[in-house]
Amino acid sequence: MRRRSAEGVCPSVRTITQDLPVEMTRFDPLVERIEEIVPRVEILHPGTMLVPMSGAVKYYGGERPLIERVDKELEAFGTDHRIGVGLGPFASQQAARMTSDLHRIHIVEDDDRFLGALDIAAIGREDLAATFRWLGITTLGALAELPRDALVLRFGRAGLDAHRVALGVDREVDTRDIPEDPRVHSDFDPPIDDMEQAAFIARNLAQRLIGGLARHGVAPHRVIVTAEAADGTVRTRAWRSADPFDDRSLAERVRWQLRTWIDGVSAGIRGGLVSLSLEPADLSGSGRQMALEEDAKTFEETQRALMEVQAIAGPESLLMSTGQGGRDPAHQVLWSRWGEDQRAPERDASAPWPGRIPGPAPALVPPVRVPFEVTFVEGVPDQVRLRSRWVPVLSWAGPWRHVGRWWDGEGTADRYQVVTSTGAYLCEVKDGSTYLLGVYD
Amino acid sequence: MRTKGSTVVVNLQREDEVTVGLPPRFLVEPEALSLGPGQVAGLSGLPGTGLTRVGLSLIVPYAVSGPIAYLDVRGWMNPTAAWELGVEADRLVVVRSGDVVTWGRVVATLLSGVRGVYAEIPNGVREAMLRTLVAKARSHRTPLVLRPVTGALPAGIAHLRLEAKEVSWEGTDAGHGQLLRRRTVLEASGKWAKGIHRTIEVEDDGTNDLRVVPHLGIAATRRLA
Repeated sequence: MRRRSAEGVCPSVRTITQDLPVEMTRFDPLVERIEEIVPRVEILHPGTMLVPMSGAVKYYGGERPLIERVDKELEAFGTDHRIGVGLGPFASQQAARMTSDLHRIHIVEDDDRFLGALDIAAIGREDLAATFRWLGITTLGALAELPRDALVLRFGRAGLDAHRVALGVDREVDTRDIPEDPRVHSDFDPPIDDMEQAAFIARNLAQRLIGGLARHGVAPHRVIVTAEAADGTVRTRAWRSADPFDDRSLAERVRWQLRTWIDGVSAGIRGGLVSLSLEPADLSGSGRQMALEEDAKTFEETQRALMEVQAIAGPESLLMSTGQGGRDPAHQVLWSRWGEDQRAPERDASAPWPGRIPGPAPALVPPVRVPFEVTFVEGVPDQVRLRSRWVPVLSWAGPWRHVGRWWDGEGTADRYQVVTSTGAYLCEVKDGSTYLLGVYD
Repeated sequence: MRTKGSTVVVNLQREDEVTVGLPPRFLVEPEALSLGPGQVAGLSGLPGTGLTRVGLSLIVPYAVSGPIAYLDVRGWMNPTAAWELGVEADRLVVVRSGDVVTWGRVVATLLSGVRGVYAEIPNGVREAMLRTLVAKARSHRTPLVLRPVTGALPAGIAHLRLEAKEVSWEGTDAGHGQLLRRRTVLEASGKWAKGIHRTIEVEDDGTNDLRVVPHLGIAATRRLA
């Protein structure tokens, strides 16, 4: 539900914006504590960690004592935590969801039976789950019984992934040839103590790592981030993702981790950051599906060139765009800086937008309204001033009446498509003045 | 006898239906208005004549294999025009920079990384810089469309020069209808035209196809001196 809809239903609703870096900063002490008991803890996202138990079970004398120890340590933090135990990350997460306030721990005894009984929604894709449900497949067990080739034929890659999940196979890890040392590493002299600088370096390293692996057609599911402080302290943290990391998602996680180390309670980067490295693991070939005519070399060249352009012209100059709803041509485009996540559309493109100017779209749209001289004779456009000369209007369409936000004091405006011998223009008449909204170039 | 700048209407489909008794020596096939890898096109004409769409259509085929870039000097570019031509939103990068000092470096860098470049030229860019960029486009095999904000390109820069001569619209009347279809008359010259000035009529209805007008085509006019 959108925020506006929610506020319409419940005017007193309070909106809380999710701040993942802050969540990570608060979550990190818990991870550190658990890592003292069991090494190589992996973070899925702020709030969820995976604790590999196979090695530690023997040391603690069994599964139950180890789980009780983990539970006790987490309880010391006063958190509302849940623990799920299963054969793999997927089963464990599903088990954790089965817990309640009274029973915080759920241990899966029979993984096949447990997974088979799960609702089809567990595959994580609502549209696909709805289709399966419509076909009478309501559990993962029923899905697992279907022939894999039939699923692939009907649903493609999505069907294969769903079948794999139903079988309890978390991901397909490939053992294809990879570079001997795929790590990427950077040293800093003088040490870095500025978060903005660290974020930039995180992005750069992530792009290098993912770009290098992409040349071999693989992408990592797990990445170990290692940072060394000027006082010699070395800090390490493993991040895991069910889908293979791409450069953006990895850069984001490295940035969260660095912020946690720099700003967190443990203040782990004393004297600044002198080196940072990223080491990938669990590589799979399902990372980046390139287009038919695309190759890894092209991808890397493009990334490098665009980064350079960004450095020359400034980060605000390099833009990507996406469509959204709106009446004006300028409102129908949502701009975002290249290299950053696309913003979610602010206006629904599928809404009717009464008063919207029909296509084709003007190829040139001024970023702000530009005064445009048009003479009207008896309410009809007659002449247009282009630079220093007046040009007769040959034909026109409109007006389309635009009713603004009257409750905010915004008045109405009339829009015209005006055709002259030198081209067509979209203009707006408002409060007795005419403005240019677009040029059909 | 042909006169300088005359327009001759011919039929592109069957030679025996040529309506004017001149041999169809200068026919332009509808698919022929294209730019090869590393070739440079120069556009000149007032905003409103449809040259943005014509220029974009020259590099759109290259968006299949990677992103294309639009260097927007005025900050007016509307990406919807490119999407309508069939470019996926994530295959179009817009660089908004009107700085004449860095303009050449930006275009040169783009040529080395993206699959096609449409660059508006701010006032004050030197001819030597344009020639350097033409060489870079050739060496990287990246098609480049250049459009000066004012005026025209110097001679000998572009493989294909397109100058907008006339534009007309269908669909609008005295307050009725809406803009539907544009016809732009372009004068083409340069190596692409094999040293001959040709008049081409291009039809554009805002969809992902921009057509050289069939049946009407093309006119031979004059040879370059």
